[in-house]
Amino acid sequence: MAQIKLDIFRFDEATDTVPHRDIVEVDIPETTTVLDALEYAKAEVDGSISFRRSCRSAICGSCSMNINGVTGLACKTPCNTVMDDEGVVKVDPMPNFQPMKDMVVHMDPFWDKYARLKPYLQAKDKDSDHATERRVSPEDMKKLVDVANCIMCATCYALCPVVSVDPAFAGPAAIAYAYRFIEDVRDAKRTERIAQISEDYLWLCAHCYACSYCPKHVDPNDRIIDVKRAAINDKVMLDERGPRHALVVAKTIKQTGMLAETEVILGTVGRFNVRGLLKVTPLALRMVARGKLTPVEMAVGGTAPMLGLASMKPIPKVNEVRTIFESLEVPV
Amino acid sequence: MSTTILPEDRPLASHKSTRSRETKRYGFFPGCVAKESCKELFNSTMLLADKLGIELIELTAASCCGASVVNDVNRDVARVLNARTYAQAEALGLDDVITICSTCTGHMRAANKELLESEERMDQANAILGKFGAKYHGEVVVRHLLWMLIDDIGLDNLRSMVVRPLNGLKVAPFYGCHIIRPESVNGWESARNPHSLEDVIEAIGGEAVDYAGKTRCCGFHIQLEKDNVASSMVGQNMRMAKDSGAEAVITPCPLCHLALDGYQQDAAARWGRTDLPTFHLPQLVAFALGVPPEKLGLNKHLIDPRAIMVERELIS
Repeated sequence: MAQIKLDIFRFDEATDTVPHRDIVEVDIPETTTVLDALEYAKAEVDGSISFRRSCRSAICGSCSMNINGVTGLACKTPCNTVMDDEGVVKVDPMPNFQPMKDMVVHMDPFWDKYARLKPYLQAKDKDSDHATERRVSPEDMKKLVDVANCIMCATCYALCPVVSVDPAFAGPAAIAYAYRFIEDVRDAKRTERIAQISEDYLWLCAHCYACSYCPKHVDPNDRIIDVKRAAINDKVMLDERGPRHALVVAKTIKQTGMLAETEVILGTVGRFNVRGLLKVTPLALRMVARGKLTPVEMAVGGTAPMLGLASMKPIPKVNEVRTIFESLEVPV
Repeated sequence: MSTTILPEDRPLASHKSTRSRETKRYGFFPGCVAKESCKELFNSTMLLADKLGIELIELTAASCCGASVVNDVNRDVARVLNARTYAQAEALGLDDVITICSTCTGHMRAANKELLESEERMDQANAILGKFGAKYHGEVVVRHLLWMLIDDIGLDNLRSMVVRPLNGLKVAPFYGCHIIRPESVNGWESARNPHSLEDVIEAIGGEAVDYAGKTRCCGFHIQLEKDNVASSMVGQNMRMAKDSGAEAVITPCPLCHLALDGYQQDAAARWGRTDLPTFHLPQLVAFALGVPPEKLGLNKHLIDPRAIMVERELIS
C-alpha cells in the first residue's frame, strides 16, 4: 500500500467562474491505475469528483485525461508510472477541450469533426436488401484493421498542437477515420472524402508525431501521411499550398539532391501569387539583412526554375538520386 | 510479407556507437538547412568538433533525408534516398552517421528501421542502389550530435572542457519533435520527459528552464501552409519559456531554429513579445568550450543573442 496524493482539477461550469484544486489522499497499492484511484477517491472521500469512465480496460475510450502533464487513458496508466517523489498524481481535463465538470469536457467539437466525414460506409451498390455480400480481400482488409481499433478517446486531439492554436483543423482522429473509408474498397465516395478532409485542413498537420502516443496504436500520424498520398495519387485538390509544397520539395530533391529553400517557398506560395509572396517577403528580407540568405541565392532560387534550370548546385552524383526517383516512379 | 532480417536480441532502434571511443571518426550528415539558411550551424559544428578532438567526415554526396515531406508524395523514396547515404557512409568505413537536425535524425532513423526490419524493403533499396553500383549492408547507426556528446564525450568530460561557463544563463531547451518522437524510432531517451538538453545546458554552466513547451512542435512544417498557425505555435511555446524565466533558448534542430528565431515577432500580436534569442546546440557548447564568439555566426540570428550575452557578462 502507498499513500497517493491525487491533485485534482475541480470546476463546475454551472457554478464556478474559475477552477480550483483539491488534494485527496488515498491509501492504495501504487500499481493501481489512475482511474481506479479516482474511483476510490470518489467512493470513499468525495462523491462529487467527476470523470467519464465505463469499461476500465481501454476499450470504451471515455477516461482520457491529462495526468501529470501527459494526456492518456486513466484506465491504462498505473499511478507508479506517473507519480512524483512525493506520490503526487495530478489530474486535469484533456487540453484542447472546454471543461464542463472536473475531468468531464465538452466533446462536441471532436464529434462535429467526425460527423463532417460521414463516418459510415457509402457503398458502391445500392443493394438495400443485402442479397449479396460485400467481400473484401484479406489484403485490402489489412489496411483497415489497425485504424478500426480507434476508440475515439480523443487523446490525439487533446495532444495536437495545431488544434491548440487553430480549432478549424480536423485533428488526427478524424483524418485517421477518413482514411478508414478512403481505403475501404467497398466505399464509393473516395474522391469526395479526400476533398472533404482536404478542406478540413488535412495539410495543416505539422508532422509533430504527438499523436504517436495513441493508446490503441492507430498511429494517426502515419494515417495522415497515407491520406495525403491518396490525395496526390488521385490528384484531388492539388492546387493548394500543402500538396504543392510536398511536390516541389520532392522536385527540388530530384533535381539537386537537396531541398532548395527558395524554390520551395516560391513553389508552395505560388510564383505569381503576389499577395502571398508579399506576406513572406518581410521575413525573407530580414534573413537577407542578417546574411542568412544571400541576395544571389534568392535571385537564383527565384528565377532559375522558370528557365528550367536547377535552383542550386546539385550534389555530387545527383544522377543516382534521379535514378531513385525514376525507379520508384515518383510523380515529380 | 515482410520479415525481419535481424536476430531478435538485437535492438532495432539502436543508438549506441558501434565504433570504439578511441577512433572518434564519424560520418557527418549536415542536412540541407545547415548548408543553406543556417550556415552558422554548420560552421559552429565544425568548430565544436575541433574543440572536442573528433573528426567529422562530411558525406558530401549525400542527399536530403526527405525532410518529413517526401513521404507525402511517395512511400519509398525517402527510405531509398537514405539507403544511398548509408551506403556511402559504409563505403567510407564509417558506421556512425552524426546529424545536427532533429528532422534528419528522426527520418533517417525511421528509414533505417524500415530497412533493417524488412528484407523486402532492403532488397527493394539495394535493387535500385545496384543500378549505380552501390549497396547498403545495414551497418549504419544514425545518431544526433546531442546523443554523441553525452554517450561518447560524456557530460563529466564535457564539463571539464568548459573554459567559458554560461554564468547561470537561464536557457530553455527546445527539442524539436523528430529527435524524440516517435519513441519507437528514436528511443534514446523518454519522449515525454527528455533531459539530454538540460544535462548539456548544466554541464556548460547554464541553468535549464523547465516548461511544458520544450517537447512541443515549432510549426516549421506548416509555415507556408497557414503562416499564422505556425507562428502561433512558436508564440505559445516561447510564451511558456519566457514565463518560466528563460533568457534564451537552445535547440538541436535548425528547422526549429528558423521557426523560433524567425516567427516570434509575428506571434507577438497574439502571445505578447517574447524576443527570446535562440542558440543552435553546437553554437552554445562551442562558445563554452572557448571558440571565439565572432566565429559562431551569432550575428546571423534575427533575434540577436549577443545582447543577453553582454548582459550576463559572457561577452563584452
